[in-house]
Amino acid sequence: MTVPMLSVSSLRAAYGPVQVLFEVNFDVLPGSVTTLIGANGAGKTTIMKSLAGLVSPTAGEIRFEGEYITHTASHDRVNAGLCLIPEGRLVFPGMTVEQNLRLGAIAPAARAGHSEMLAEVFRRFPRLEQRRNQQAGLMSGGEQQMLALGRGLMARPRLILMDEPTLGLAPVMVKQVFETIEELRAAGFTILLAEQNAKVALELADRAYLLENGRVALAGSGAELLDSPEVRRAYLGM
Amino acid sequence: MDTLMSGQLLFAALVSGSLYALVALGLNLVYGTLRLLNIAHGDLVMIGAYTAFWMISLFAIPPIISLVLAAALCALLGWAVYAGLFRRMLAKPELAKRVEANSLILFYGISVILQNLAALAFTSTSRGYQYLDTVITWQGISMTGNRLLSLGVATAVCFGALLFLRFHLFGWGLRAVIQRREAAQVVGVNLNRVQLLTICGGFAVAGVAGVLVSMTEQITPFMGFPFTIVAFVVIIIGGLGNIGAGILAGFCLGLVETYGIALTSPGYRSILIYGLFVGVLLVRPEGIFTKAVRS
Ligand SMILES: Nc1ncnc2c1ncn2[C@@H]1O[C@H](COP(=O)(O)OP(=O)(O)OP(=O)(O)O)[C@@H](O)[C@H]1O
Ligand SMILES: [Mg+2]
Repeated sequence: MTVPMLSVSSLRAAYGPVQVLFEVNFDVLPGSVTTLIGANGAGKTTIMKSLAGLVSPTAGEIRFEGEYITHTASHDRVNAGLCLIPEGRLVFPGMTVEQNLRLGAIAPAARAGHSEMLAEVFRRFPRLEQRRNQQAGLMSGGEQQMLALGRGLMARPRLILMDEPTLGLAPVMVKQVFETIEELRAAGFTILLAEQNAKVALELADRAYLLENGRVALAGSGAELLDSPEVRRAYLGM
Repeated sequence: MDTLMSGQLLFAALVSGSLYALVALGLNLVYGTLRLLNIAHGDLVMIGAYTAFWMISLFAIPPIISLVLAAALCALLGWAVYAGLFRRMLAKPELAKRVEANSLILFYGISVILQNLAALAFTSTSRGYQYLDTVITWQGISMTGNRLLSLGVATAVCFGALLFLRFHLFGWGLRAVIQRREAAQVVGVNLNRVQLLTICGGFAVAGVAGVLVSMTEQITPFMGFPFTIVAFVVIIIGGLGNIGAGILAGFCLGLVETYGIALTSPGYRSILIYGLFVGVLLVRPEGIFTKAVRS
């Protein structure tokens, strides 16, 4: 049995009086792509934010590489190797592409090797190098998504949390994002992916969880979820 | 027309402009990173001014040294306000949403308390002292040493702040927080530390401004309010949270005020300042320099 890189147990979270996560349990194995699928409002982003330390859980536990990080500050989590590529990308619009990337390496653990990492990000996304002096806010949605990804990589994470990286992108770009995810897995990164594009996301996934109303409704390999009648009906329109 | 072209007038404009830029810098930093509307900002100027006055009157400590003391004292106040009032409010998203409106009321209270404490402790008699007030003439411009010092210190602090924001890693983190708070957390900026140090720094800058003001103006417990107003005017002209533009706007306000008064009369001072303010709000509510200069 492999030890999970991330394990989430009995996680609950609320916005004010409204509870949105009820007893969420799941694991992410090292080197895998784990996918969370679920309808709008199922709680995917809330899980991602809880993992990144942007939402504080009301109960439950988060363990990353053996350490409990349930109440750790967000910057310490980044420094520990856990990095969120947030929904809506959240680039720094008034800064250039290069400044955005450099900010990605602001965590102490990432500072030392940031020039090599910048070169690697530019190699992975040549488009970002062409646009290195452009204001991030003026880039297209697809370019901003690459930038958000590149910025995340600058932190030298071991676990990358990607919240709907294909949201609002054209099909060509969607394809490219999924290719990038495969490349990252091949390069040894561990990935937790929240997606609406259920079909591709499940085809890619080593393990997958279906969320419904803040609970895990179904868990299995990507293929198992693809075959389940529930998923086929609700998410694949079959 | 001769007076308009004189270096004398330009010097006066730069002295007041640099001071406006400095006072506004502190307010802008605190607003930009914490979204706190510090209506007590001018009262920190007052505290700085009294620090300089008492230090020189009681201990013969010159304002040059009081700059450091006032900065430290105001930074300490900033720490107390952050740790005591705002840390918890900013940590809870539900409270953080209302913090901007709440801060206005809280700081109003702080302002009243500070003014009354100062009035109780020091009476409302206006105070003043003499320091470097001999007139030096250079290239036909007559200036006093204290004004020259004020211009030098205010300009140096403003440019120092800009360089710090541009080149120091902490400055990058601070700009990230100003631009997109949540994204700053995502990349791993220590939000709590940035907020704490910014409020300390912003308050300290106001204290420094107070020492500079005290060298040339009367000191009273109620001297702060006009500085609060000027600071708000400046940062709204420059664009809220836009540090570089705020500094530029401070100098502009000094120029408009000084040359405006020279062209009209001192009675027009308020009309000029508020006229510029209302004019900017009507034409470019996002601030005149928001596109041109990025902090
Ligand atoms: N800041 C907030 N304040 C209050 N309620 C919120 C907030 N953010 C999300 N919610 C609620 O929490 C629930 C879960 O939202 P969440 O964003 O986690 O869903 P999601 O699965 O990411 O949805 P989507 O696919 O649309 O991104 C929703 O009912 C949403 O309305
Ligand atoms: Mg979401």
